[in-house]
Amino acid sequence: MMTPLYKYGFFGEEFSLLVAFVLGLGFGFFLERAGFGSARKLAAQFYLYDMSVFKVMFTAIVTAMLGVTYLGWLGWLDLDLVYLVPTHLGPQVVGGLVLGVGFVVGGYCPGTSVAALATGRFDAVLYALGIFAGTFAYAQVYPAIQGFVNANPMGQVTLPEVFELSWGLVVFVVVIIAVLGFWGATLVERRFRSEP
Amino acid sequence: MRLPQLTLNQKLGVAALVLGALALFSQPHRGPFVKLDARELALVVEQEVDHVTPTELAAWIVEGRADYRLIDLRTADEFESYHIPTAENAQLPALNDYPIQRNQKIVLYSEGGIHSAQAWLLLRAQGYEGVYTVLGGLDGWKDEVLFPTLPAETGPKERARFERAAVVARFFGGEARTDGAPAASAPAVALPKLVSPAGPAQPVAPGAPRKKKKEGC
Repeated sequence: MMTPLYKYGFFGEEFSLLVAFVLGLGFGFFLERAGFGSARKLAAQFYLYDMSVFKVMFTAIVTAMLGVTYLGWLGWLDLDLVYLVPTHLGPQVVGGLVLGVGFVVGGYCPGTSVAALATGRFDAVLYALGIFAGTFAYAQVYPAIQGFVNANPMGQVTLPEVFELSWGLVVFVVVIIAVLGFWGATLVERRFRSEP
Repeated sequence: MRLPQLTLNQKLGVAALVLGALALFSQPHRGPFVKLDARELALVVEQEVDHVTPTELAAWIVEGRADYRLIDLRTADEFESYHIPTAENAQLPALNDYPIQRNQKIVLYSEGGIHSAQAWLLLRAQGYEGVYTVLGGLDGWKDEVLFPTLPAETGPKERARFERAAVVARFFGGEARTDGAPAASAPAVALPKLVSPAGPAQPVAPGAPRKKKKEGC
């Protein structure tokens, strides 16, 4: 059997929505289990005394990266078929900053806000309303900023392609960065926890 | 020797480092190598669902359908002098990197049909599901669409079909023939001018790569 299952036609569009629903439930469940359904836990990241968000996200990156690499190596996953969001460097940097500001101000990122909404937190209700308002506002100004949104298109690229390095080297370097990051994050936590 | 006591996090970190170091030697991309299901491909050929007839293709073009990519595998010169409307030009060696998507309907043709059949196999082996060849290739297109001939024994049914074919032939700048000689074997017949038939049926300029379908994330 070869993956991605959907691209290889093991199931159709309807079933893929069902799969997405189940995966989404799982995602939400584990966000909640990690404590990310609470804005306090998430905000702690920005006060630097609890680096869980950083650690969990980087763990997810490393796990997925290693998983994809080994599945591809074993021939169970056709990496050429995996969809990548096309890169627009400038607009995505700006978009990331906007999302970051929203994260700091609102206490959630979009995914965790839905998890928090599911457990009935009131701040998440306000946050969800904010998402709808923001989406609406974005759609309204989209014609004016369309040129910028589509600026410097780089296509579906990966780091090995951009830096012209081998896939394995990038994987190894990212793992090193991650492990150093975990270690550094723990030091930062200790420092900011001890002097509140 | 006793191993130092590690916390779970440290163990996970070590595991990641080991896997990351091993990954230095990995070849996660398939590259040009493929594994193919010979039985499945044989069945597809046997059931004759691997091709479209020139008449079907002509109907698609007349209707202005845009749900397929028509790829001309001949040389650029041959492509310049004539190609089926809506076609894009790509030769076999370049096909591996040609911007086509695996979920697109891809219709291939060459002069006769051998190259397109070979390209069909290569693309199917790489996981392109919706690949078809034009039956008979460009020769088939000439015989069936551009210069259809009236069959020898004609009933009212054949005649009606022939008249319909004649209209289609005119649409593409060809001409129906009643003398019975197949067009491909009569090279004296001039091929239509490239631009003539396209008209409203041409959704995109030939050769222009279509925009990739956007996928959700």
